[in-house]
Amino acid sequence: MNYILNFEQLDKNSLPLVGGKNASLGEMIKAGIRVPPGFAVTTDSYFSFITETGIKDKIYGILSSMPPDDVESLNRASAEIQEIIKKTPLSDDIKTALEEGYSHLCEKCSVEILPVAVRSSATAEDLPTASFAGQQDTYLWVEGVANIINNVHKCWASLFTPRAIDYRNKNDFPHEKVLISVGVQKMVNSRTAGVMFTINPIDGDLSKIVIEGSWGLGETVVSGSVNPDKFVVDKVLMETNEKTISAKHIKCVYDPQKGGVKNIGVKEDVQSICCLGDQEVTELVKIAKDIEKHYGRAMDIEWAIDKDFVFPESVFIVQARPETVWSQRKTTSVIGKKSGYQLLMEQAMKRIKIPG
Amino acid sequence: MADEKAGRFPDPHEFQVPPELEGWEEMYPSHYLFSKDRENWEKNQFWYQDKIHAPEPMPPLDLIFQEAWQISLSQYTTRVFCIPPAQGIAQRMVGPYMYICAIAPPPEEIIAEKAGLFEKRVFYVFEHYDELWDKWLTKVKALGKEMAAVEIPRELPKFVPEDQVLPAPTGCYVSYDLIEAFDKLVNQMFKGWQYHFEMLNLTYLAYLMFGDVSRKLFPGISESAIGKMVAGAYVSMFRPEEELCQLSRLATSLRGVTDILKSEMSADQKIAELQKTPDGKQWLEAFDKAKDPWFYVSCGSGWFHHEGSWINNLDIPYSYIKSYVERLENGETIERSLDTLDKERDETVAKYRELIQNDEDRESFEGAYNTIRTIYRYAEDHLFWVEHWFHTIWFSKIREFGSLLVNNGMINEVDDLFMFNRYEIPELLTEVATGWALGVDIPMRGEYYKAKADKRKKILQAAGEWNAIPALGVPPEEVAEPFTIMLWGVTTDKVKEWLKGMGEGAVTPGDISEIKGFASSAGVVEGKARVLKLLKEIVDLQPGEILVSPSTNPSWAPVFTKIKAAVTDIGGLTSHAAIVCREYGVPAVTGAGIATSAIKTGDIIKVDGDTGVITIVERAG
Repeated sequence: MNYILNFEQLDKNSLPLVGGKNASLGEMIKAGIRVPPGFAVTTDSYFSFITETGIKDKIYGILSSMPPDDVESLNRASAEIQEIIKKTPLSDDIKTALEEGYSHLCEKCSVEILPVAVRSSATAEDLPTASFAGQQDTYLWVEGVANIINNVHKCWASLFTPRAIDYRNKNDFPHEKVLISVGVQKMVNSRTAGVMFTINPIDGDLSKIVIEGSWGLGETVVSGSVNPDKFVVDKVLMETNEKTISAKHIKCVYDPQKGGVKNIGVKEDVQSICCLGDQEVTELVKIAKDIEKHYGRAMDIEWAIDKDFVFPESVFIVQARPETVWSQRKTTSVIGKKSGYQLLMEQAMKRIKIPG
Repeated sequence: MADEKAGRFPDPHEFQVPPELEGWEEMYPSHYLFSKDRENWEKNQFWYQDKIHAPEPMPPLDLIFQEAWQISLSQYTTRVFCIPPAQGIAQRMVGPYMYICAIAPPPEEIIAEKAGLFEKRVFYVFEHYDELWDKWLTKVKALGKEMAAVEIPRELPKFVPEDQVLPAPTGCYVSYDLIEAFDKLVNQMFKGWQYHFEMLNLTYLAYLMFGDVSRKLFPGISESAIGKMVAGAYVSMFRPEEELCQLSRLATSLRGVTDILKSEMSADQKIAELQKTPDGKQWLEAFDKAKDPWFYVSCGSGWFHHEGSWINNLDIPYSYIKSYVERLENGETIERSLDTLDKERDETVAKYRELIQNDEDRESFEGAYNTIRTIYRYAEDHLFWVEHWFHTIWFSKIREFGSLLVNNGMINEVDDLFMFNRYEIPELLTEVATGWALGVDIPMRGEYYKAKADKRKKILQAAGEWNAIPALGVPPEEVAEPFTIMLWGVTTDKVKEWLKGMGEGAVTPGDISEIKGFASSAGVVEGKARVLKLLKEIVDLQPGEILVSPSTNPSWAPVFTKIKAAVTDIGGLTSHAAIVCREYGVPAVTGAGIATSAIKTGDIIKVDGDTGVITIVERAG
């Protein structure tokens, strides 16, 4: 049984074993995309954890006896299950696997205690038709194996937040079918980070890459706590059609006191400086196009620029998932089937509002 | 549109031009003036200054081109191809500046009637485009040759030559030939302009259609992307430049020719030197072969007599050849590969097509694209043949009348002829003919005309100092006239900007630090500005500077390899500067309105061809 698998060992077929996020990282590495190294704690780990420790029956027992549509008992069940998961220690096998995985990763990056991001990666998450995004947890700047284990526990427990339970109940997703994997990935020491889409999320324009970025780690952009800088670039001509620089008042950084990360203020004179150089934008656009081409669909991508590396080695992709909003609408025709003459006639009949 | 009270421009009937323009009205025909008898109609239209065709004060004779296009452009829309809701474009003069207005749609029953005609007539044109184009070019060339062949009497002979009297009198003489020749030139110009619009309105309509389809499929697609998909590489407008490249290459393969071409001599001296050797002669033969039609290219837009053309200023093509030869000797490539350009265009279109997810949409896109590609060549080619080749011939013929009038004491200089409109010139010619017929020592009114020409020159000069109001009347809610949108780029933002610039608190050009125009060619650069109002100032331009000019045209083409970016006052996304900059990958902002007055040579400016914004970063000392 594989308790952990390196990202290099994964591809899209690994989804049942490592969840959507991890599988997609492996898939990107295969496609030659620069992804920070790391490994997945497989669903097998989780499954053997809940079976071998005997907590599985307890958990599903609580869920099946829970009355539907009752907020209070939902909260109670959730708290109870999460407590069980967090309190139950890992088997030595899993622990050893994690220790080995982490020490390999540290070695690979030539760092004694490598800061990592620990992220949950559910098997039903990120499916194009049922976005579970944001329902599981992410822990940043985790150092040392004890802290990793602690956060793996938390990630596993996050499968049973009230919201996650409720979502599955409402959508008739059997709780037993959703397993969880965890990703442990080298933390990007990011100067600038953010998200990008291979479709304009505002109007569904497929010819655009939209990049949003801000100082520090990408969490401020993902959570919407800053107004990011925004770039709209044409995929075909590689022209920047729109460039908006915002005052980025806070940034998410490593917190040496408490460990983990925290938001701090950005100096006023730095707030309105563009957070990406032209060549970084171009590189991101190229990568976005590669990712979209590889998956054959519109994608939603998280990226970061590492200050410890020199461009272009500094540009990393930390996550990619299918875009779910427009991708479903795009099958309907916007124009209908019309000949050039029909279109010309329509144009000729138009009284055009003076364009704004 | 902005609300009625705040969002309107002055009533054209109440608007006063500066006192130093007094007397301007007599320079132009009466129907060009705002008038009491048409007041109700006129004051409810929206009149904006036509900076494309009349960016500068209008010399009376140069108005002929405007008169011709007002009729021709409008008739194709209203009476020939019948674009259903569209009417024509009317012109008026306010001081020596021209204002135009897209007339509101006609009554519904007329629209319906036109729709039927449109379908039948227009679809035919698209189906037979290639054959119609061949016919068009044949007749335009024939008309130009006919014009070049018009004989204009050089002088009025003391006595008519013997052979016109004996053995049989011809019956009509120079006094008649004079008037007839002038009438011919006027008529030919009007005819050329009738041809000019033959398929142009449809081209613009198809372009708007394709733009609309593209924007439906790709809501954020840029105008420059649409332009790139449509533009052709094998375009007459680029031929003059290609001919120069070929001549430069030929020179490098001949003995002793490049040394002469690279020297600092004038064109005339170079020609004299080249005549002395067989290789030089061979090169001159090639030059002569290329020059008609390809060097009949205006140094400006073709709309003004003072712009000149390559053929009359051979120093211009020779200076381009000099720099091409130098670049060839440095091992640089000077020609653009047209095949590559064509291929790139097709690849661009294919990439957009691939992005379309729905089969029906893909087919419609294909249909729209084929429709515009069928006809777009017309927009690219007609310009060279009419505005450049045909106008150049006309100007040189019309100047022969100027010489004749100078010789007969009616005006001081040849170009003073342009101070009289086309209705007045027959008056001058008739007096000359009359004086000649009356006998010897007949006094003529030369002093009267000379004074008139002087006064008008002063008015035009004063008008050049006046910052003409951008618009008059009430902005409309909607327009249906394809040229108004595509060529003049009238948009709500533009109108708002114009409104902002009026009245109290209006900023003067010297205070402006940011100017907005069309994002015509992508890229962002910063550099030193070089403001060039006339082509002859081009010698001042240093490599790596940013060109700032009222507009550009094919005769400026060789400049684009030298510059870092281009900014123009006038011109949309399909203007010459926009097209050429896209091809060279040089950032451009076009139609920036006031760039040449707000920016001074030596200013450090930033040109953002992605957003259409020009920023003045640092003023020159």
